[in-house]
Amino acid sequence: MTAVTTEPGRAPSVPRDAHVTFLGELRAEWIKFTAVRSTPWILGVTVLVMIGIAALSAWSFSFLLDNPEETGGAAAFPADFDWAAQAAGAGYIMAQIVVAVLGVIVVTGEYTTGQIRSTLAAVPRRLPVLAAKGVVVTIASFVTGLLGVALGALVALPLLSSHDITLDLSRDGTLLSLLGAPLYLVAVALFSLGVGTMLRHTAGGIAVAVLIFFVLPMIWPNLAPDFFQDTSPYLPSIAGARLMEGVDPDAVLSPWQGYGVMLAWAALALLGGAVLLRRRDA
Amino acid sequence: MIEAVDLTKRYGEKLAVDSVSFTVRPGRVTGFLGPNGAGKSTTMRMILGLDRPTAGRVTVNGKQYADHRAPLLEVGALLEAKAVHTGSSARDHLRALAATHGIGRKRVEEVIELTGLTDVAHKRVGGFSLGMGQRLGIAAAMLGDPKTLVLDEPVNGLDPEGVKWVRTMVRYLAGEGRTVFLSSHLMSEMAITADDLVVIGRGRIITTGTVQDIITASTTGSVRVRSPRAGELAETLRRDGVTISSSEPDRLDVTGIDAPAIGELAAQRGIPLHELTPVSASLEEAFMTLTAGEVEYHSEAVGDPDTRQMQEAGR
Repeated sequence: MTAVTTEPGRAPSVPRDAHVTFLGELRAEWIKFTAVRSTPWILGVTVLVMIGIAALSAWSFSFLLDNPEETGGAAAFPADFDWAAQAAGAGYIMAQIVVAVLGVIVVTGEYTTGQIRSTLAAVPRRLPVLAAKGVVVTIASFVTGLLGVALGALVALPLLSSHDITLDLSRDGTLLSLLGAPLYLVAVALFSLGVGTMLRHTAGGIAVAVLIFFVLPMIWPNLAPDFFQDTSPYLPSIAGARLMEGVDPDAVLSPWQGYGVMLAWAALALLGGAVLLRRRDA
Repeated sequence: MIEAVDLTKRYGEKLAVDSVSFTVRPGRVTGFLGPNGAGKSTTMRMILGLDRPTAGRVTVNGKQYADHRAPLLEVGALLEAKAVHTGSSARDHLRALAATHGIGRKRVEEVIELTGLTDVAHKRVGGFSLGMGQRLGIAAAMLGDPKTLVLDEPVNGLDPEGVKWVRTMVRYLAGEGRTVFLSSHLMSEMAITADDLVVIGRGRIITTGTVQDIITASTTGSVRVRSPRAGELAETLRRDGVTISSSEPDRLDVTGIDAPAIGELAAQRGIPLHELTPVSASLEEAFMTLTAGEVEYHSEAVGDPDTRQMQEAGR
Protein backbone atom coordinates (compact mmCIF):
# COMPACT_ATOMS: atom_id res chain seq x y z
CA MET A 1 0.00 0.00 0.00
CA THR A 2 2.91 2.34 0.68
CA ALA A 3 4.64 1.78 -2.61
CA VAL A 4 3.88 4.07 -5.50
CA THR A 5 2.94 1.51 -8.06
CA THR A 6 2.98 3.65 -11.17
CA GLU A 7 5.79 1.47 -12.40
CA PRO A 8 7.82 3.16 -15.08
CA GLY A 9 7.66 1.21 -18.29
CA ARG A 10 4.15 -0.05 -17.72
CA ALA A 11 1.93 2.23 -19.74
CA PRO A 12 -1.47 2.96 -18.25
CA SER A 13 -4.29 1.25 -20.16
CA VAL A 14 -5.93 4.42 -21.35
CA PRO A 15 -6.75 4.56 -25.06
CA ARG A 16 -5.10 7.58 -26.67
CA ASP A 17 -8.25 8.64 -28.43
CA ALA A 18 -10.55 8.12 -25.43
CA HIS A 19 -13.10 10.91 -25.17
CA VAL A 20 -16.62 11.65 -24.00
CA THR A 21 -19.34 10.11 -26.16
CA PHE A 22 -23.08 9.98 -25.55
CA LEU A 23 -23.02 6.19 -25.71
CA GLY A 24 -20.27 6.17 -23.08
CA GLU A 25 -22.25 8.52 -20.85
CA LEU A 26 -25.30 6.29 -21.35
CA ARG A 27 -23.28 3.27 -20.18
CA ALA A 28 -22.04 5.29 -17.22
CA GLU A 29 -25.57 6.21 -16.18
CA TRP A 30 -26.68 2.62 -16.57
CA ILE A 31 -23.79 1.41 -14.39
CA LYS A 32 -24.67 3.98 -11.72
CA PHE A 33 -28.36 3.10 -11.94
CA THR A 34 -27.76 -0.60 -11.36
CA ALA A 35 -24.84 -0.13 -8.95
CA VAL A 36 -27.12 1.17 -6.23
CA ARG A 37 -28.60 -2.02 -4.83
CA SER A 38 -31.94 -0.52 -3.94
CA THR A 39 -32.87 0.17 -7.58
CA PRO A 40 -33.40 -3.41 -8.84
CA TRP A 41 -35.13 -4.17 -5.56
CA ILE A 42 -37.56 -1.30 -5.85
CA LEU A 43 -38.40 -2.18 -9.46
CA GLY A 44 -38.83 -5.87 -8.62
CA VAL A 45 -41.21 -5.08 -5.81
CA THR A 46 -43.12 -2.74 -8.13
CA VAL A 47 -43.69 -5.58 -10.59
CA LEU A 48 -44.93 -7.77 -7.72
CA VAL A 49 -47.30 -5.07 -6.53
CA MET A 50 -48.66 -4.68 -10.07
CA ILE A 51 -49.25 -8.43 -10.26
CA GLY A 52 -50.99 -8.37 -6.90
CA ILE A 53 -53.29 -5.52 -7.90
CA ALA A 54 -54.10 -7.26 -11.20
CA ALA A 55 -55.12 -10.37 -9.25
CA LEU A 56 -57.22 -8.33 -6.84
CA SER A 57 -58.94 -6.50 -9.68
CA ALA A 58 -59.68 -9.73 -11.55
CA TRP A 59 -61.05 -11.31 -8.38
CA SER A 60 -63.22 -8.27 -7.75
CA PHE A 61 -64.50 -8.22 -11.37
CA SER A 62 -65.28 -11.90 -11.06
CA PHE A 63 -67.20 -11.32 -7.82
CA LEU A 64 -69.10 -8.50 -9.44
CA LEU A 65 -70.13 -10.61 -12.42
CA ASP A 66 -71.04 -13.55 -10.16
CA ASN A 67 -73.39 -11.47 -8.00
CA PRO A 68 -75.36 -9.22 -10.35
CA GLU A 69 -78.29 -8.78 -7.93
CA GLU A 70 -76.05 -7.24 -5.22
CA THR A 71 -73.56 -5.34 -7.35
CA GLY A 72 -75.52 -4.46 -10.45
CA GLY A 73 -73.21 -6.76 -12.40
CA ALA A 74 -71.91 -5.74 -15.79
CA ALA A 75 -74.73 -3.28 -16.32
CA ALA A 76 -72.82 -0.57 -14.47
CA PHE A 77 -69.98 -0.82 -17.02
CA PRO A 78 -69.79 0.19 -20.69
CA ALA A 79 -70.81 -2.59 -23.04
CA ASP A 80 -67.36 -2.90 -24.54
CA PHE A 81 -65.52 -2.79 -21.18
CA ASP A 82 -62.29 -4.73 -21.58
CA TRP A 83 -62.32 -6.69 -18.31
CA ALA A 84 -59.06 -8.56 -18.85
CA ALA A 85 -57.00 -5.59 -20.03
CA GLN A 86 -58.35 -3.33 -17.28
CA ALA A 87 -57.50 -5.88 -14.58
CA ALA A 88 -54.00 -6.48 -15.99
CA GLY A 89 -53.06 -2.79 -16.02
CA ALA A 90 -54.78 -1.68 -12.80
CA GLY A 91 -51.48 -1.67 -10.86
CA TYR A 92 -50.18 1.41 -12.65
CA ILE A 93 -51.78 3.58 -9.97
CA MET A 94 -49.37 2.25 -7.35
CA ALA A 95 -46.46 1.80 -9.75
CA GLN A 96 -46.51 5.48 -10.70
CA ILE A 97 -45.50 6.49 -7.17
CA VAL A 98 -42.46 4.24 -7.24
CA VAL A 99 -41.49 5.38 -10.70
CA ALA A 100 -41.89 9.03 -9.68
CA VAL A 101 -39.62 8.48 -6.68
CA LEU A 102 -37.10 6.74 -8.92
CA GLY A 103 -37.13 9.56 -11.48
CA VAL A 104 -36.47 12.07 -8.72
CA ILE A 105 -33.71 10.21 -6.85
CA VAL A 106 -31.78 9.29 -9.98
CA VAL A 107 -30.66 12.90 -9.97
CA THR A 108 -31.21 14.18 -6.42
CA GLY A 109 -29.29 11.19 -5.01
CA GLU A 110 -26.24 12.58 -6.81
CA TYR A 111 -26.69 16.00 -5.24
CA THR A 112 -27.14 14.65 -1.71
CA THR A 113 -24.00 12.52 -1.91
CA GLY A 114 -21.77 14.89 -3.89
CA GLN A 115 -21.57 12.38 -6.75
CA ILE A 116 -22.87 15.09 -9.11
CA ARG A 117 -19.49 16.86 -9.02
CA SER A 118 -17.72 13.67 -10.17
CA THR A 119 -20.37 13.22 -12.85
CA LEU A 120 -20.22 16.78 -14.18
CA ALA A 121 -16.41 16.89 -14.06
CA ALA A 122 -16.37 13.84 -16.36
CA VAL A 123 -19.05 15.27 -18.68
CA PRO A 124 -18.70 19.05 -18.31
CA ARG A 125 -21.18 19.88 -21.06
CA ARG A 126 -23.79 18.58 -18.63
CA LEU A 127 -26.80 18.14 -20.94
CA PRO A 128 -25.73 14.64 -22.06
CA VAL A 129 -25.95 13.66 -18.38
CA LEU A 130 -29.62 14.63 -18.21
CA ALA A 131 -30.34 13.03 -21.59
CA ALA A 132 -28.66 9.76 -20.57
CA LYS A 133 -30.55 9.71 -17.28
CA GLY A 134 -33.72 10.25 -19.31
CA VAL A 135 -32.97 7.22 -21.47
CA VAL A 136 -32.18 5.08 -18.42
CA VAL A 137 -35.38 5.91 -16.53
CA THR A 138 -37.39 5.49 -19.75
CA ILE A 139 -36.08 1.96 -20.23
CA ALA A 140 -36.42 1.06 -16.54
CA SER A 141 -39.98 2.36 -16.17
CA PHE A 142 -41.18 0.93 -19.49
CA VAL A 143 -39.78 -2.53 -18.76
CA THR A 144 -41.16 -2.47 -15.22
CA GLY A 145 -44.60 -1.47 -16.49
CA LEU A 146 -44.55 -4.00 -19.30
CA LEU A 147 -43.53 -6.85 -16.97
CA GLY A 148 -46.15 -5.77 -14.46
CA VAL A 149 -48.93 -5.75 -17.07
CA ALA A 150 -47.85 -8.97 -18.83
CA LEU A 151 -47.47 -10.95 -15.60
CA GLY A 152 -50.59 -9.25 -14.25
CA ALA A 153 -52.52 -10.55 -17.27
CA LEU A 154 -51.17 -14.06 -16.70
CA VAL A 155 -52.49 -13.99 -13.14
CA ALA A 156 -55.78 -12.22 -13.95
CA LEU A 157 -56.92 -14.37 -16.86
CA PRO A 158 -57.44 -17.65 -14.95
CA LEU A 159 -59.52 -15.75 -12.39
CA LEU A 160 -61.77 -14.42 -15.16
CA SER A 161 -61.93 -17.58 -17.28
CA SER A 162 -65.21 -18.76 -15.72
CA HIS A 163 -66.89 -15.75 -17.35
CA ASP A 164 -65.49 -16.54 -20.79
CA ILE A 165 -63.30 -13.47 -20.57
CA THR A 166 -60.11 -13.67 -22.61
CA LEU A 167 -57.50 -11.24 -23.75
CA ASP A 168 -58.01 -10.54 -27.44
CA LEU A 169 -55.10 -8.45 -28.66
CA SER A 170 -56.76 -7.92 -32.04
CA ARG A 171 -59.69 -6.24 -30.36
CA ASP A 172 -59.93 -2.48 -30.82
CA GLY A 173 -58.13 -0.69 -27.97
CA THR A 174 -56.94 -3.77 -26.08
CA LEU A 175 -53.30 -3.54 -27.07
CA LEU A 176 -53.38 0.19 -26.42
CA SER A 177 -54.73 -0.20 -22.90
CA LEU A 178 -52.11 -2.87 -22.16
CA LEU A 179 -49.27 -0.71 -23.47
CA GLY A 180 -50.85 2.26 -21.75
CA ALA A 181 -49.44 1.48 -18.32
CA PRO A 182 -45.78 1.20 -19.40
CA LEU A 183 -46.08 4.32 -21.58
CA TYR A 184 -47.78 6.23 -18.79
CA LEU A 185 -45.01 5.23 -16.36
CA VAL A 186 -42.35 6.47 -18.80
CA ALA A 187 -43.95 9.91 -18.81
CA VAL A 188 -44.16 9.91 -15.00
CA ALA A 189 -40.46 9.00 -14.75
CA LEU A 190 -39.39 11.71 -17.22
CA PHE A 191 -41.52 14.37 -15.56
CA SER A 192 -40.08 13.44 -12.16
CA LEU A 193 -36.53 13.51 -13.55
CA GLY A 194 -37.14 17.07 -14.69
CA VAL A 195 -38.59 18.05 -11.31
CA GLY A 196 -35.67 16.41 -9.46
CA THR A 197 -33.14 18.22 -11.67
CA MET A 198 -34.83 21.55 -10.98
CA LEU A 199 -35.18 21.08 -7.21
CA ARG A 200 -31.97 19.05 -6.53
CA HIS A 201 -33.63 17.92 -3.34
CA THR A 202 -35.01 14.42 -2.74
CA ALA A 203 -37.84 15.15 -0.33
CA GLY A 204 -38.98 18.23 -2.24
CA GLY A 205 -38.86 16.44 -5.58
CA ILE A 206 -40.85 13.46 -4.32
CA ALA A 207 -43.41 15.73 -2.67
CA VAL A 208 -43.99 17.63 -5.92
CA ALA A 209 -44.22 14.46 -8.02
CA VAL A 210 -46.67 12.75 -5.64
CA LEU A 211 -48.72 15.93 -5.41
CA ILE A 212 -49.03 16.17 -9.18
CA PHE A 213 -49.67 12.50 -9.99
CA PHE A 214 -51.57 11.37 -6.93
CA VAL A 215 -53.16 14.25 -5.06
CA LEU A 216 -54.02 16.71 -7.83
CA PRO A 217 -56.16 14.30 -9.90
CA MET A 218 -58.21 13.52 -6.80
CA ILE A 219 -58.88 17.14 -5.85
CA TRP A 220 -58.84 19.25 -9.00
CA PRO A 221 -61.76 17.70 -10.95
CA ASN A 222 -63.98 17.87 -7.85
CA LEU A 223 -63.64 21.59 -7.34
CA ALA A 224 -66.83 23.36 -8.30
CA PRO A 225 -65.81 26.36 -10.45
CA ASP A 226 -65.92 25.74 -14.19
CA PHE A 227 -62.25 26.56 -14.48
CA PHE A 228 -61.30 23.34 -12.67
CA GLN A 229 -63.81 21.27 -14.59
CA ASP A 230 -62.57 22.65 -17.91
CA THR A 231 -58.87 22.25 -17.19
CA SER A 232 -58.83 18.91 -15.40
CA PRO A 233 -58.58 16.79 -18.60
CA TYR A 234 -55.24 18.49 -19.21
CA LEU A 235 -53.65 17.56 -15.89
CA PRO A 236 -50.71 15.26 -16.66
CA SER A 237 -52.11 12.26 -14.81
CA ILE A 238 -55.68 12.56 -16.08
CA ALA A 239 -54.55 13.25 -19.65
CA GLY A 240 -52.11 10.31 -19.58
CA ALA A 241 -54.64 7.91 -18.10
CA ARG A 242 -56.71 8.29 -21.27
CA LEU A 243 -54.32 5.75 -22.83
CA MET A 244 -55.67 3.00 -20.59
CA GLU A 245 -59.32 3.99 -20.67
CA GLY A 246 -59.80 3.09 -24.28
CA VAL A 247 -62.03 4.81 -26.81
CA ASP A 248 -64.55 7.09 -25.14
CA PRO A 249 -66.61 9.42 -27.36
CA ASP A 250 -67.45 11.66 -24.38
CA ALA A 251 -63.83 12.32 -23.43
CA VAL A 252 -62.28 15.68 -24.29
CA LEU A 253 -59.03 14.11 -25.43
CA SER A 254 -58.43 10.94 -27.45
CA PRO A 255 -56.01 8.43 -25.86
CA TRP A 256 -53.07 9.60 -27.97
CA GLN A 257 -53.94 13.27 -27.52
CA GLY A 258 -54.04 12.69 -23.79
CA TYR A 259 -50.66 11.02 -23.83
CA GLY A 260 -49.32 13.85 -25.96
CA VAL A 261 -50.45 16.35 -23.32
CA MET A 262 -48.77 14.30 -20.62
CA LEU A 263 -45.51 14.09 -22.60
CA ALA A 264 -45.66 17.85 -23.12
CA TRP A 265 -45.75 18.29 -19.33
CA ALA A 266 -42.74 15.96 -19.02
CA ALA A 267 -40.90 17.90 -21.74
CA LEU A 268 -41.60 21.15 -19.90
CA ALA A 269 -40.19 19.76 -16.64
CA LEU A 270 -37.10 18.42 -18.45
CA LEU A 271 -36.57 21.74 -20.21
CA GLY A 272 -36.67 23.55 -16.87
CA GLY A 273 -34.21 21.02 -15.48
CA ALA A 274 -31.89 21.37 -18.49
CA VAL A 275 -31.79 25.17 -18.32
CA LEU A 276 -31.03 25.15 -14.59
CA LEU A 277 -28.48 22.33 -14.90
CA ARG A 278 -26.55 24.35 -17.48
CA ARG A 279 -26.73 27.59 -15.55
CA ARG A 280 -26.21 26.70 -11.94
CA ASP A 281 -23.01 25.98 -10.05
CA ALA A 282 -22.70 22.31 -9.21
CA MET B 1 -0.52 24.10 -17.23
CA ILE B 2 -3.25 26.05 -15.48
CA GLU B 3 -3.70 29.75 -16.13
CA ALA B 4 -6.10 31.91 -14.16
CA VAL B 5 -6.63 35.52 -15.22
CA ASP B 6 -8.56 37.92 -12.98
CA LEU B 7 -10.67 35.03 -11.80
CA THR B 8 -13.53 36.27 -9.63
CA LYS B 9 -16.43 34.56 -7.89
CA ARG B 10 -19.12 36.36 -5.98
CA TYR B 11 -21.80 34.59 -3.96
CA GLY B 12 -24.40 37.24 -3.27
CA GLU B 13 -22.71 39.90 -1.16
CA LYS B 14 -19.63 37.82 -0.49
CA LEU B 15 -16.62 37.99 -2.77
CA ALA B 16 -15.21 34.46 -2.42
CA VAL B 17 -12.47 34.86 -5.02
CA ASP B 18 -11.32 38.35 -5.88
CA SER B 19 -9.58 38.88 -9.22
CA VAL B 20 -7.08 36.08 -8.82
CA SER B 21 -4.33 35.51 -11.41
CA PHE B 22 -1.72 32.78 -11.31
CA THR B 23 0.00 30.17 -13.46
CA VAL B 24 0.64 26.57 -12.48
CA ARG B 25 3.51 25.09 -14.49
CA PRO B 26 4.09 21.52 -15.65
CA GLY B 27 6.81 19.40 -14.11
CA ARG B 28 6.40 21.01 -10.69
CA VAL B 29 4.23 20.54 -7.64
CA THR B 30 2.42 23.78 -6.92
CA GLY B 31 0.86 24.23 -3.53
CA PHE B 32 -2.29 26.28 -3.10
CA LEU B 33 -1.98 27.51 0.43
CA GLY B 34 -4.44 29.44 2.51
CA PRO B 35 -6.54 29.28 5.65
CA ASN B 36 -9.97 27.67 5.56
CA GLY B 37 -12.47 29.84 3.75
CA ALA B 38 -9.79 31.64 1.74
CA GLY B 39 -11.29 30.62 -1.61
CA LYS B 40 -9.15 27.57 -2.48
CA SER B 41 -12.00 25.16 -3.14
CA THR B 42 -14.03 27.75 -5.05
CA THR B 43 -11.03 28.45 -7.29
CA MET B 44 -10.56 24.73 -7.92
CA ARG B 45 -14.24 24.27 -8.75
CA MET B 46 -13.95 27.08 -11.28
CA ILE B 47 -10.90 25.38 -12.84
CA LEU B 48 -13.09 22.31 -13.38
CA GLY B 49 -16.04 24.22 -14.79
CA LEU B 50 -18.27 23.26 -11.85
CA ASP B 51 -18.71 26.85 -10.72
CA ARG B 52 -19.07 29.62 -13.25
CA PRO B 53 -16.71 32.57 -12.67
CA THR B 54 -18.42 35.92 -12.04
CA ALA B 55 -15.56 37.50 -14.00
CA GLY B 56 -12.22 36.52 -15.47
CA ARG B 57 -11.31 33.13 -16.83
CA VAL B 58 -9.26 30.05 -16.20
CA THR B 59 -7.84 27.59 -18.72
CA VAL B 60 -6.28 24.17 -18.36
CA ASN B 61 -3.77 23.06 -20.97
CA GLY B 62 -4.83 25.99 -23.15
CA LYS B 63 -8.60 25.49 -23.10
CA GLN B 64 -11.48 26.07 -20.76
CA TYR B 65 -12.21 22.80 -18.99
CA ALA B 66 -15.61 22.22 -20.60
CA ASP B 67 -14.13 22.65 -24.09
CA HIS B 68 -11.91 19.58 -23.77
CA ARG B 69 -13.06 16.50 -25.70
CA ALA B 70 -11.63 14.22 -23.06
CA PRO B 71 -11.58 16.12 -19.76
CA LEU B 72 -10.51 13.08 -17.73
CA LEU B 73 -7.38 12.73 -19.88
CA GLU B 74 -6.52 16.40 -19.40
CA VAL B 75 -7.31 16.92 -15.73
CA GLY B 76 -7.65 14.50 -12.87
CA ALA B 77 -9.45 16.06 -9.96
CA LEU B 78 -9.92 15.28 -6.31
CA LEU B 79 -12.49 17.80 -5.22
CA GLU B 80 -13.64 16.55 -1.88
CA ALA B 81 -13.51 13.20 -0.21
CA LYS B 82 -16.36 10.98 -1.30
CA ALA B 83 -17.92 12.87 -4.18
CA VAL B 84 -19.46 9.47 -4.69
CA HIS B 85 -22.93 7.98 -4.32
CA THR B 86 -22.87 6.27 -0.93
CA GLY B 87 -24.83 3.28 -2.23
CA SER B 88 -22.32 2.48 -4.96
CA SER B 89 -19.21 0.34 -4.64
CA ALA B 90 -15.81 1.89 -5.27
CA ARG B 91 -15.33 -0.27 -8.38
CA ASP B 92 -18.74 0.63 -9.85
CA HIS B 93 -18.06 4.31 -9.24
CA LEU B 94 -14.79 4.08 -11.15
CA ARG B 95 -16.35 1.93 -13.90
CA ALA B 96 -19.07 4.54 -14.45
CA LEU B 97 -16.57 7.40 -14.67
CA ALA B 98 -14.35 5.37 -17.00
CA ALA B 99 -17.33 4.49 -19.21
CA THR B 100 -18.00 8.16 -20.03
CA HIS B 101 -14.66 8.25 -21.88
CA GLY B 102 -14.68 4.70 -23.18
CA ILE B 103 -11.88 3.73 -20.77
CA GLY B 104 -11.90 -0.03 -20.12
CA ARG B 105 -12.07 -2.31 -17.10
CA LYS B 106 -8.32 -2.85 -17.16
CA ARG B 107 -7.56 0.76 -16.29
CA VAL B 108 -10.17 0.67 -13.50
CA GLU B 109 -8.34 -2.27 -11.93
CA GLU B 110 -5.01 -0.48 -12.40
CA VAL B 111 -6.08 2.59 -10.43
CA ILE B 112 -7.68 0.39 -7.75
CA GLU B 113 -4.34 -1.36 -7.33
CA LEU B 114 -2.41 1.90 -7.55
CA THR B 115 -4.35 3.41 -4.66
CA GLY B 116 -4.36 0.27 -2.53
CA LEU B 117 -8.13 -0.21 -2.67
CA THR B 118 -8.10 -3.80 -3.93
CA ASP B 119 -9.54 -5.28 -0.75
CA VAL B 120 -12.40 -2.80 -0.42
CA ALA B 121 -13.24 -2.10 -4.08
CA HIS B 122 -16.42 -4.18 -3.91
CA LYS B 123 -17.69 -2.47 -0.77
CA ARG B 124 -20.23 0.31 -0.61
CA VAL B 125 -18.57 3.72 -0.42
CA GLY B 126 -20.97 4.76 2.34
CA GLY B 127 -18.96 2.68 4.79
CA PHE B 128 -15.58 4.10 3.80
CA SER B 129 -13.38 6.03 6.21
CA LEU B 130 -12.27 9.50 5.22
CA GLY B 131 -8.88 8.09 4.29
CA MET B 132 -10.33 5.41 2.00
CA GLY B 133 -12.60 8.04 0.47
CA GLN B 134 -9.48 10.11 -0.32
CA ARG B 135 -7.81 7.11 -1.92
CA LEU B 136 -10.91 6.52 -4.06
CA GLY B 137 -10.88 10.20 -5.04
CA ILE B 138 -7.25 9.90 -6.09
CA ALA B 139 -8.05 6.70 -8.00
CA ALA B 140 -10.77 8.59 -9.88
CA ALA B 141 -8.35 11.44 -10.59
CA MET B 142 -5.81 8.99 -12.05
CA LEU B 143 -8.33 7.16 -14.29
CA GLY B 144 -7.55 9.09 -17.46
CA ASP B 145 -3.77 9.18 -16.82
CA PRO B 146 -4.16 12.98 -16.92
CA LYS B 147 -1.59 15.60 -17.82
CA THR B 148 -2.75 17.83 -15.00
CA LEU B 149 -3.86 17.02 -11.46
CA VAL B 150 -6.01 19.26 -9.30
CA LEU B 151 -6.18 17.94 -5.75
CA ASP B 152 -8.15 19.71 -3.06
CA GLU B 153 -6.74 18.86 0.38
CA PRO B 154 -5.52 15.42 -0.72
CA VAL B 155 -3.93 14.50 2.61
CA ASN B 156 -6.97 15.47 4.63
CA GLY B 157 -7.98 12.48 6.78
CA LEU B 158 -5.07 10.28 5.73
CA ASP B 159 -2.91 8.51 8.28
CA PRO B 160 0.84 9.34 8.29
CA GLU B 161 1.51 6.47 5.90
CA GLY B 162 -1.14 7.79 3.52
CA VAL B 163 0.26 11.32 3.76
CA LYS B 164 3.67 10.02 2.78
CA TRP B 165 2.12 8.02 -0.05
CA VAL B 166 0.39 11.10 -1.50
CA ARG B 167 3.58 13.13 -1.16
CA THR B 168 5.66 10.49 -2.95
CA MET B 169 3.03 10.10 -5.65
CA VAL B 170 2.63 13.80 -6.47
CA ARG B 171 6.41 14.25 -6.58
CA TYR B 172 6.65 11.26 -8.90
CA LEU B 173 3.87 12.57 -11.16
CA ALA B 174 5.45 16.01 -11.38
CA GLY B 175 8.74 14.29 -12.14
CA GLU B 176 7.05 12.76 -15.18
CA GLY B 177 6.36 16.28 -16.44
CA ARG B 178 2.77 16.59 -15.28
CA THR B 179 1.23 19.67 -13.73
CA VAL B 180 0.28 19.12 -10.10
CA PHE B 181 -1.81 21.69 -8.22
CA LEU B 182 -2.75 20.77 -4.69
CA SER B 183 -4.35 22.78 -1.96
CA SER B 184 -3.78 22.59 1.74
CA HIS B 185 -4.12 24.62 4.86
CA LEU B 186 -1.20 22.65 6.35
CA MET B 187 1.91 24.74 5.83
CA SER B 188 4.29 22.10 7.12
CA GLU B 189 3.04 19.60 4.56
CA MET B 190 3.43 22.12 1.73
CA ALA B 191 6.98 22.91 2.78
CA ILE B 192 7.91 19.26 2.16
CA THR B 193 5.76 18.53 -0.88
CA ALA B 194 5.59 21.65 -3.04
CA ASP B 195 8.10 23.39 -5.29
CA ASP B 196 6.01 26.49 -5.90
CA LEU B 197 3.34 28.18 -3.85
CA VAL B 198 0.27 30.25 -4.54
CA VAL B 199 -0.76 31.76 -1.20
CA ILE B 200 -4.33 32.97 -0.91
CA GLY B 201 -6.20 34.74 1.88
CA ARG B 202 -9.74 36.10 1.85
CA GLY B 203 -10.04 35.45 -1.87
CA ARG B 204 -6.93 37.42 -2.84
CA ILE B 205 -3.49 36.21 -3.87
CA ILE B 206 -1.04 37.18 -1.16
CA THR B 207 2.09 35.95 -2.84
CA THR B 208 3.37 33.45 -5.41
CA GLY B 209 6.84 32.00 -5.91
CA THR B 210 9.03 29.10 -4.94
CA VAL B 211 8.71 27.75 -1.42
CA GLN B 212 12.29 28.84 -0.60
CA ASP B 213 11.82 32.39 -1.89
CA ILE B 214 8.65 32.83 0.10
CA ILE B 215 10.28 31.64 3.31
CA THR B 216 13.31 33.86 2.78
CA ALA B 217 11.27 36.92 1.85
CA SER B 218 9.09 36.76 4.90
CA THR B 219 11.79 35.79 7.38
CA THR B 220 13.30 38.37 9.67
CA GLY B 221 16.09 36.06 10.80
CA SER B 222 16.48 36.29 14.54
CA VAL B 223 19.21 34.90 16.78
CA ARG B 224 18.60 33.22 20.10
CA VAL B 225 21.31 33.97 22.69
CA ARG B 226 21.71 32.58 26.19
CA SER B 227 24.16 34.11 28.59
CA PRO B 228 24.44 34.39 32.41
CA ARG B 229 25.20 38.09 31.81
CA ALA B 230 22.32 38.67 29.39
CA GLY B 231 21.56 42.17 30.61
CA GLU B 232 25.14 43.34 30.06
CA LEU B 233 25.16 41.71 26.61
CA ALA B 234 21.92 43.46 25.68
CA GLU B 235 23.53 46.84 26.50
CA THR B 236 26.49 45.96 24.29
CA LEU B 237 24.30 44.95 21.35
CA ARG B 238 21.91 47.89 21.53
CA ARG B 239 22.30 50.07 18.46
CA ASP B 240 20.31 51.27 15.47
CA GLY B 241 18.38 48.56 13.66
CA VAL B 242 18.77 45.98 16.38
CA THR B 243 15.79 44.84 18.39
CA ILE B 244 16.11 42.73 21.47
CA SER B 245 13.43 40.93 23.38
CA SER B 246 13.75 38.68 26.36
CA SER B 247 11.37 36.03 27.58
CA GLU B 248 13.62 34.53 30.26
CA PRO B 249 16.29 36.18 32.48
CA ASP B 250 19.23 34.56 30.69
CA ARG B 251 17.78 34.61 27.17
CA LEU B 252 17.74 37.22 24.39
CA ASP B 253 16.01 37.09 20.99
CA VAL B 254 17.93 39.42 18.75
CA THR B 255 17.13 40.63 15.26
CA GLY B 256 19.03 43.02 13.04
CA ILE B 257 22.48 41.58 13.69
CA ASP B 258 23.77 38.14 12.74
CA ALA B 259 25.14 35.41 14.99
CA PRO B 260 28.89 35.84 14.16
CA ALA B 261 28.71 39.56 14.95
CA ILE B 262 27.05 38.84 18.29
CA GLY B 263 29.74 36.26 19.06
CA GLU B 264 32.54 38.73 18.21
CA LEU B 265 31.07 41.48 20.39
CA ALA B 266 30.54 39.10 23.31
CA ALA B 267 34.14 37.88 23.03
CA GLN B 268 35.52 41.46 23.01
CA ARG B 269 33.69 42.18 26.28
CA GLY B 270 34.50 38.77 27.77
CA ILE B 271 30.82 37.87 28.17
CA PRO B 272 30.33 34.08 28.23
CA LEU B 273 27.67 32.65 25.84
CA HIS B 274 25.77 29.44 26.61
CA GLU B 275 23.87 29.41 23.34
CA LEU B 276 24.06 31.26 20.03
CA THR B 277 21.44 29.96 17.56
CA PRO B 278 20.29 31.55 14.30
CA VAL B 279 16.54 30.95 14.04
CA SER B 280 15.20 30.74 10.49
CA ALA B 281 11.47 30.97 10.12
CA SER B 282 9.58 27.92 8.96
CA LEU B 283 7.03 28.13 6.18
CA GLU B 284 4.46 27.98 8.92
CA GLU B 285 5.74 31.22 10.45
CA ALA B 286 6.09 32.79 7.00
CA PHE B 287 2.49 31.85 6.31
CA MET B 288 1.30 33.30 9.59
CA THR B 289 3.11 36.55 8.84
CA LEU B 290 1.68 36.68 5.33
CA THR B 291 -1.88 35.89 6.21
CA ALA B 292 -2.07 37.96 9.39
CA GLY B 293 -5.21 40.00 8.95
CA GLU B 294 -6.38 37.81 6.08
CA VAL B 295 -7.77 35.01 8.15
CA GLU B 296 -11.52 35.07 8.14
CA TYR B 297 -12.08 33.33 11.42
CA HIS B 298 -9.61 33.98 14.19
CA SER B 299 -9.65 31.38 16.89
CA GLU B 300 -10.51 32.83 20.24
CA ALA B 301 -8.17 32.18 23.10
CA VAL B 302 -9.44 29.35 25.22
CA GLY B 303 -10.73 30.88 28.42
CA ASP B 304 -9.18 29.98 31.74
CA PRO B 305 -11.18 27.55 33.92
CA ASP B 306 -12.56 30.33 36.13
CA THR B 307 -14.02 32.29 33.27
CA ARG B 308 -15.50 29.15 31.75
CA GLN B 309 -17.16 28.23 35.03
CA MET B 310 -18.58 31.72 35.29
CA GLN B 311 -19.90 31.52 31.73
CA GLU B 312 -21.49 28.17 32.42
CA ALA B 313 -23.00 29.41 35.68
CA GLY B 314 -24.42 32.38 33.81
CA ARG B 315 -26.36 30.17 31.40
